Amino acid sequence: MGAPQDLGGFGPFDVRPTAEGATIRERLLRSPPFIGLLALALLLLIWQWIAWVNTRVPGIDEIVRFMVTEMSGGSHGGALTGEFWAPLATSMQRYAVGLAIGVPIGAALGLLIGAFRWARGLFNDTVLVLLALPAVVWAFLAALWFGLSAWGPILAVVLTVVPFMAVNLSAGVRNIEPGLIQMSRSFDVPFGRRFVHLLFGGSLPSGFTGLRLAFMTGWNSLLIVEWFGATSGVGWRARFWYDALRYPGFVGWIFLFVILITLLDRLLLSPLERRAFRWNQQPTLTFEEEL
Amino acid sequence: MATVLIEDLTKVYPPTINNPKQVQALGGLSMSITGNVFVAVVGPSGSGKTTLLNIVAGVELPTSGSVRALQEGVPARVGYVFQEPRLLPWRTVVDNMLYVQDRKSDRSRREAEFYLQMVGLGDVADLYPSQLSGGMQQRVGIARAFLVNPDVLLLDEPFSHLDALTGRSLRDYLQRIWLQSRKTALFVTHDVTEAVELADRIVMLRPGGVTYDDISIDLPRPRRHGDPAVRDIQDEVLRRFDAMGAAVRFGAEGV
Amino acid sequence: MSTVSTVTPGSVSELSARELRRAAWSRWGYRLSVVAGWVVFVGVWYLVARLVLTPQQLPQPHVVAVEAWDVLRLREFGGNFQASILRVAAGFLLALLLSVGLGLLIAYSRWWRRLLGRVLQFVVSIPTVSFAVLSLIVLGISPMGPILNTMIVATPYITTNLAQGLTGVDRRLIVMSESFGRTRAQIIVGVLIPSSLLSILGGARLAFAVAWRVALLTEIFASADGIGLQIRRSFESYDIQGMLAWALLFIVIMLLIENLVLRQVERRLSRWRTPATGVAP
Repeated sequence: MGAPQDLGGFGPFDVRPTAEGATIRERLLRSPPFIGLLALALLLLIWQWIAWVNTRVPGIDEIVRFMVTEMSGGSHGGALTGEFWAPLATSMQRYAVGLAIGVPIGAALGLLIGAFRWARGLFNDTVLVLLALPAVVWAFLAALWFGLSAWGPILAVVLTVVPFMAVNLSAGVRNIEPGLIQMSRSFDVPFGRRFVHLLFGGSLPSGFTGLRLAFMTGWNSLLIVEWFGATSGVGWRARFWYDALRYPGFVGWIFLFVILITLLDRLLLSPLERRAFRWNQQPTLTFEEEL
Repeated sequence: MATVLIEDLTKVYPPTINNPKQVQALGGLSMSITGNVFVAVVGPSGSGKTTLLNIVAGVELPTSGSVRALQEGVPARVGYVFQEPRLLPWRTVVDNMLYVQDRKSDRSRREAEFYLQMVGLGDVADLYPSQLSGGMQQRVGIARAFLVNPDVLLLDEPFSHLDALTGRSLRDYLQRIWLQSRKTALFVTHDVTEAVELADRIVMLRPGGVTYDDISIDLPRPRRHGDPAVRDIQDEVLRRFDAMGAAVRFGAEGV
Repeated sequence: MSTVSTVTPGSVSELSARELRRAAWSRWGYRLSVVAGWVVFVGVWYLVARLVLTPQQLPQPHVVAVEAWDVLRLREFGGNFQASILRVAAGFLLALLLSVGLGLLIAYSRWWRRLLGRVLQFVVSIPTVSFAVLSLIVLGISPMGPILNTMIVATPYITTNLAQGLTGVDRRLIVMSESFGRTRAQIIVGVLIPSSLLSILGGARLAFAVAWRVALLTEIFASADGIGLQIRRSFESYDIQGMLAWALLFIVIMLLIENLVLRQVERRLSRWRTPATGVAP
């Protein structure tokens, strides 16, 4: 059970495919990059179709044209000129600071809750309450407390990130196999090493799940705060074009928002995850058992 | 010289949600082991064998009675080989070995590699456990137990999860590496064949964790599988177990 | 592992009583730490409200509780609440229907399963607020926004877990069924559905947790009524007390549905899964 992921497993009625027999065309058709592109094309096609049916909705071409003007700082007509890098940099900075504060706090809290009963009793319910509050509540509170200062968006990111990290890491620690804990105790492995190698190593998979969710929800609440209570940033710019009734700009910035988080996942999280999980490679080398 | 003194050892597990009856794993077990001997504890399932080892290793507490594992009067260092390999899947083989080692130096890494070579795994030090077969993982487990230079070696049915051929080759590895160091060993199994092949002494348990019988085996090492002398002792042990079965049945009918 | 229980009844019961006492002590210690946790939580709330911020910025807990009680008795509460919950329910049902349709594709074609997996992975990686604001221009201020967004966001979770259930079915059972000449339909009803049901329900619970948050968010951005709109109004008039009261009421009710109703259904349907008996001591 969990969040959507690759569904490449065997279906109940599948005939096991033979890789050798496939032609080049067939192999291309089921190669992951091709399927990825196809998926993206499908979603864009759906958008284009909506744009056709609904005249308020801008088509892909309009959006791209608008965003090019925005990026190059050209004129949108009237007194409006393009502005791209400044809002982007502002948002990224707030996001980075929020994650840098929230992720370590959440991770430490999660390891404590997982490893010690007293910590679990003390913090678990609080973390669950924080988790239950939708990001929008935090965003509103942060906007009202800090007004238009940069700390509102940052606080919203921190508050959404902490419970996700804490919940996932503590679950990871509690799922560590009891046999391994017993093994460590029988060899008298000292606590420090046990913490690093056993607790941290064992909770790494769910730690990554938490990190991924934290990255996503943090980005989400950043946009909400910026939409409702900021004078700079990606969310503010999207709102600006919405209020100006320039829908290509509005949708363009929302698309950009989606593209950025996707890129972050592909370029930062996925390689990190692959590196951290070298031990979990599925293609097991086979060795002849010597007799 | 290590000694293991077990006196009137009882372990009762309180009822749990899944198992509403309380369970007696050990019922007043006593035995003493002195010197560099290889002792096999043989008994059917439910005779508290794993519990016994866990208590000696200090990972479980007895309900009553006492266990003292001493080396020259101080608590003995224990090396444990588990039923399953119990390796950290996210650490390489050599890191798994070093995980239980107190000193961290080039020397300890060389030692780890030495013991890996002893079990025929000199070239897999930097692989992850998932890249090894079950038998190879179990050999890493054996090497790990020897690496800590234990005063007392505990083995909990280390071959029971393997196929017969792999198990046999692993027993040869174990016998070879043990003959070099001759640590006091407590080996728990339900397999009479492997007990006779490896042990100097066999302690027989009955269900409920009580000693039933005790046999010494004085055969030259290394022992060969299928040797007539080994086979004779096997038959003798099995005969005594059969007699115990009859006794248990008699007891039940007597009540 | 079969185990013989009790040999000498007197001594045994006495000894286990000692262990039970020890277990009881550690249980009480844990309860104490839970209570301490709540005291700290509420205490920090009070302290922040009084010392760091002003009571206007963060109302004290009892003020919010009283306000929530007042909101609950307001006449608008019923209407707004009904609007919100019906939208969540409608979106969720649509997602279930869509998932069953997609599930058929998943069961039969490996290629479609891969493509679908990618599409869903992509949809789920889109921050939910994007759907909320996009529905502003696609649908305008309309009750369809929350419904459609709920459906879009819930579907990937349900479908993925459905697929995992289907691909995780013990193939030996299917081979067995085929060897006894069962038809596809019989296999689907007899093997596939029962063995993937738990996974589907788990997915549904996860989906519900995401779905009501999205419905709320969409109402905040683009709706003419509903709890979300009330939260937004309170926010825009700097009525933090009212905002927290509306939000807490809705959250508490949704959490009750999530944890009591859905979990109960799950438990009831998983009764055939006997808990691991006779754990080896």
